[in-house]
Amino acid sequence: MSSLFSPEIRQKIEHYLQRYETRRSAILPILHCIQDEYGWVKEEHVLALEEHYQLPRVQVEEVLTFYSMYRQQEPKQFRLMLCDNLVCTMMGYKEVDSAIRGHLQEYQHKGKDCPFSLEKVPCLGVCDGAPAMLINKTRHLNLDANNVVAILKNCDTLATGT
Amino acid sequence: MEKPKIVTRFAGLADSRSLDTYLRHDGYQALHKALAMKPAELIELVKASGLRGRGGAGFPTGLKWSFVPKDAPEKYLLCNNDEGEPGTFKDRYILELSPHMLVEGMIISAYAIGAQKAYIYTRCEFYEEIAWMEQAIHEAYRHGYLGANILGSKFSFDLDHYGGAGAYICGEETGLISSLEGKKGQPKLKPPFPALSGYLNKPTVVNNTETLAVIPWIVQHGPEKYRAIGTEKSPGTKLFCISGPVKRPGVYELPLGYPLQKFIEDDAGGLRDGKTLKAVIPGGASAPVLTADEVAKVTLDYESMANAKTMLGSGAVIVIPEGQSMVELLKVTVDFFHHESCGQCTPCREGTGWLSNVMHGIYQRKAKLKDVEKMIAIANNMEGRTICALSDACAMPTRAIATKFGDEIRSYIQRGNHG
Repeated sequence: MSSLFSPEIRQKIEHYLQRYETRRSAILPILHCIQDEYGWVKEEHVLALEEHYQLPRVQVEEVLTFYSMYRQQEPKQFRLMLCDNLVCTMMGYKEVDSAIRGHLQEYQHKGKDCPFSLEKVPCLGVCDGAPAMLINKTRHLNLDANNVVAILKNCDTLATGT
Repeated sequence: MEKPKIVTRFAGLADSRSLDTYLRHDGYQALHKALAMKPAELIELVKASGLRGRGGAGFPTGLKWSFVPKDAPEKYLLCNNDEGEPGTFKDRYILELSPHMLVEGMIISAYAIGAQKAYIYTRCEFYEEIAWMEQAIHEAYRHGYLGANILGSKFSFDLDHYGGAGAYICGEETGLISSLEGKKGQPKLKPPFPALSGYLNKPTVVNNTETLAVIPWIVQHGPEKYRAIGTEKSPGTKLFCISGPVKRPGVYELPLGYPLQKFIEDDAGGLRDGKTLKAVIPGGASAPVLTADEVAKVTLDYESMANAKTMLGSGAVIVIPEGQSMVELLKVTVDFFHHESCGQCTPCREGTGWLSNVMHGIYQRKAKLKDVEKMIAIANNMEGRTICALSDACAMPTRAIATKFGDEIRSYIQRGNHG
């Protein structure tokens, strides 16, 4: 059995393979579970799923590349997912975006490793709190240029990188 | 106008998500009543209520259920909790208020159509809400509302949760089915409709969260009481999500037929910071925009919206203030649909891409005046030519904005060309 996955992950994979009517249905939850554990889905994970669990690489890659929440690159500690849809645009997304970019550039100027990655995502389903952003799995609402920087500074203090 | 509380009857209650609270407010009483009825009687009851699907299409729920073959040995019920239409956040609110309402609605609905298994398909970004829902499912199993021989009856039923992974198209019922099968969320050709051949080619009903969550109330209070609310063709209440620069954005339960302007001004408190109304998108990003003048004439029901050449959709009312650039909103709209097109049909894959390209040219003022007509022509060629409605969902708002706000867009282009 693959030593790539921890015993807990192996147990979860086995669980998902049993849980649904077909083994194929387990692919989405298995990829979520691998990403939760390792931060992203590496090629070696995909190969291990084929070798040890008979999940064809083509089927796993199909899911991995179609759905936007899966990551195929090594992540930063804080994944910023900022909504750029209709309501957030009207309510000040651009100011929030500029403030975030400004904060991230400070790392560049100081030559420090930046613990943030920034991506634009479609509507997060929280338009009553626009502009909205997810940081990893935590929702941040009613953002503006000031409070978003305070949130990022709080992340700075928790950063584990070099 | 009276505002009956069906879904929102749990609002403001302490610990509203717990089973105890749900039971104290007649929770799972409708299930007892339903299990004493024949499944066919339940389908007739829901038909008589006039309930229409609350996800956007407004198809009569009881009729959808009646298409499922009675003698099929294996059937499925799927809850569409993917809530991705920009501007929509009502199903999230149901999970926040009382996930047991959805669980009870699903048990009753499964019994009516004869499904032994159901899934709630939820967008994965609803992390907290998924945890609440899983807790409710767990409690329902522990108390005998789910599992073998529910409440001592012959009916056995299992309910599970399935998380999406970030794809708007999975809110389309056959896209959702593809995703649940562990594939790309690409929609499938209809017919065959899911009621005959859906999940794993078995008869399947896909209903929206809100639709399923009102079933217990309808069963408990009777179809006549539900029909007495709303309009003749659009009975009942519906959840409306209002967003944009209004004083009180949020989710409101209103009887269908409620005036849109009254909703914006009275319920949501009107626009804030002294802004005035420019336009409203009444049913999520795919609904054609209404000008301020048109807003005053429409009511929140399927027919009034169709007469105004737009749609009630998911009930997502997006309020647009004077001063907001329609060029910017149209760019955001077409970019969104371009990003979310699953790519299998050419008119959609290429059409959304073209619209996005032309729109970026306009946005950067590197366009010609006739590009506004080009947008409309592209949109006209995207409709009714694809497997699912995503292409139409991009074409409809594009044509509405390019037509109703064509002068604004042309003047924007001219300002650029003249320096």
